Amino acid sequence: METTLLLNTSMLLTLMIILTPILLPLLSKSFKNSPALITKTVKTAFLTSLAPMTIFMHSNAESIISHWEWKFIMNFKIPISLKMDQYSMMFFPIALFVTWSILQFATWYMASEPYVTKFFSYLLMFLIAMLTLTIANNMFLLFIGWEGVGIMSFLLIGWWQGRAEANTAALQAVLYNRIGDIGLILSMAWLASTTNTWEIQQTFSTTQTPTLPLLGLILAATGKSAQFGLHPWLPAAMEGPTPVSALLHSSTMVVAGIFLLIRTHPMLTNNQTALTTCLCLGALSTLFAATCALTQNDIKKIIAFSTSSQLGLMMVTIGLNLPQLAFLHISTHAFFKAMLFLCSGSIIHNLNGEQDIRKMGGLQKMLPTTTSCLTIGNLALMGTPFLAGFYSKDLIIENLNISYLNTWALTLTLLATSFTATYTLRMTLMVQTGFTRMTALTPVNENNKTITNPITRLALGSITAGLLITSYIPPTKTPPMTMPTLTKTAAIIVTILGILLALELSNTTHTLTQPKQNTIMNFSSTLGYFNPLTHRLSSTNLLYSGQKLASHLIDLSWYKKMGPEGLADLQTMASKTSTTLHTGLIKTYLSSFALSILIIILST
Amino acid sequence: VGQPEMAAYLTHQQKVLRLYKKSLRHLESWCIYRDKYRYFACLLRERFDKNKDVKDMVKATELLRAGEEEFWANQHPQPYIFPDSPGGTSYERYECYKIPEWCLDFWHPSEKAMYPDYFAKREQWKKLQRESWEKEVKQLEEETPADGPRTEALPPARKEGHLPPLWWQYVTRPREIPM
Repeated sequence: METTLLLNTSMLLTLMIILTPILLPLLSKSFKNSPALITKTVKTAFLTSLAPMTIFMHSNAESIISHWEWKFIMNFKIPISLKMDQYSMMFFPIALFVTWSILQFATWYMASEPYVTKFFSYLLMFLIAMLTLTIANNMFLLFIGWEGVGIMSFLLIGWWQGRAEANTAALQAVLYNRIGDIGLILSMAWLASTTNTWEIQQTFSTTQTPTLPLLGLILAATGKSAQFGLHPWLPAAMEGPTPVSALLHSSTMVVAGIFLLIRTHPMLTNNQTALTTCLCLGALSTLFAATCALTQNDIKKIIAFSTSSQLGLMMVTIGLNLPQLAFLHISTHAFFKAMLFLCSGSIIHNLNGEQDIRKMGGLQKMLPTTTSCLTIGNLALMGTPFLAGFYSKDLIIENLNISYLNTWALTLTLLATSFTATYTLRMTLMVQTGFTRMTALTPVNENNKTITNPITRLALGSITAGLLITSYIPPTKTPPMTMPTLTKTAAIIVTILGILLALELSNTTHTLTQPKQNTIMNFSSTLGYFNPLTHRLSSTNLLYSGQKLASHLIDLSWYKKMGPEGLADLQTMASKTSTTLHTGLIKTYLSSFALSILIIILST
Repeated sequence: VGQPEMAAYLTHQQKVLRLYKKSLRHLESWCIYRDKYRYFACLLRERFDKNKDVKDMVKATELLRAGEEEFWANQHPQPYIFPDSPGGTSYERYECYKIPEWCLDFWHPSEKAMYPDYFAKREQWKKLQRESWEKEVKQLEEETPADGPRTEALPPARKEGHLPPLWWQYVTRPREIPM
């Protein structure tokens, strides 16, 4: 009894601590917000959120809180209901830990910005929206969080609004997320009309859910989590400052779509069509993103595509009917992906804004801490045994191998895993090793505690998180226990093959042959020709059909042909036919007269 | 005048030099390691130098056209662009913080009191700008040819006691990177 009370209180306390820097300036005139204060707030909230997590790990207590209800229709209840279950209680400390490290890093990175407090307030508002989304038991509250993260993503990507590309990227993010929202609203409408509730518990039933609302949920996840089809916004979102990329577009916002599917998982369980859609979509996304990452030269774009690829892997896990494993991958991925972004931010700032890996090199000697943590993050991403990524990624691939589902999805995922190793090693080789290619006289130093502390903290997390989470949270479904050796080591083997491919490619870059374009490289460089094709074709077709509709259908057809002109045409045709009869010859008139007399005499 | 005259058409030399520079930059994007780049850059330079003394303009233009087509076929899909150049990652990044100087006139007196030495002199500077404006415009009108200016470069002040034309825009330009 007291356990639940303690659980509820500590979760609500965490949420209130987060809200403090936003609410206090509104309530008191003398309260001055600052980046350091916001960082300390998030740190306090993280430490507070460890309490419910420990309670959950110890006693497996879960609870649902239902507050005030929005009474606007008699039959339909929309309470503010918060669910403290395994997912929200594990996600809170992880998200807060990652956010604390990113905010501490951002105090150094964004130090020269004029409106730095506004930036931190935006990040905090984003965090609040994300945590609302996580803890929501209600589709309505989830939708509020969903839209909140979308809006904050727009504001943060377009932070430097003088830059045309940043504005385009922000608009792109909003539009693609909106297309996904159509699916979410569709499924919410179906839920409201069929089950008369938006509470997630009450929507589960043992009978099959029809495919349409599930496809709506999958569309929402495609939009928010950048699966293939609605993916271009994620690489474009790298226009925002690096702390934004680290927080939103790697650890927290982009997993919101997958989180939605995890929450509504019992609806998906019985519907094989929906599961197969998830599986194939995820496999396609992960391979496509991994292919695109192979030839990118901007360090942030490489990491963005690796995020996209891992999101595809999470979608594959959903398609395998394993929501808990998907959540484990979300948790471990948050650590090393945020760390990769922070390391790249440290490198970029030290090199005075240089983001191209062709102008970096030899940083291992110049930035030892950053590059060591970059290596740890890359090893975790590749699924090196017993680092964080291994526990989730290897399990996913084992389950994929064992299941009797799609072989094609399996092939794509294995290929994507080897490509992950390839582009990761390529990035490592070009950034850290060899002679340096950057401009001379660049003062490079990482002596600041505000840089090294967050990065090393996250490195510690990347190493231990997988072990800790899997030790304390037992799985709900039995994992596969026995399998042939080849199946068990499939992930490691394809990773090693990917490493060998990367080493081979780097050898060719050193040999004296003039490089040229080829088809595969062009496909990868232009991101699969997807952006120009969809952005131009769809908008020109839409506008063209709109123009045709307005001018030909409405103006010409309805207003002219069906109306006055059409009638006039018919009339002129009729009158022209009849005027041919008026020839003017007397003989014709006499003969027609005689013919009609004859007919009348004969008929009577 | 110190600045070269810009006409509406490029000379052959300018076109060849532009082709050479952009092909070197794309070569640099392809050949990442410096020793390999230097090898191929020397080969490229030799190819350009071989046809350096062609006096026949028709043949020279044909060579230039062949060179441009070869460049198009061999260009890099993601050429290296410097961060502050157009198309680079930090181009126009601080544009939103660059506001014009007349906004200073709208500051509240309490804000103006934070920078007393600047605002004390500001009125004198503005008076100077008002007085010299007519003379600057007159100088520019005299010096511009009838069918429009040939170059973007501004002339210096010609007479004693005059100020260079459009000096106020230059002096009150915003910082490159804001504080």
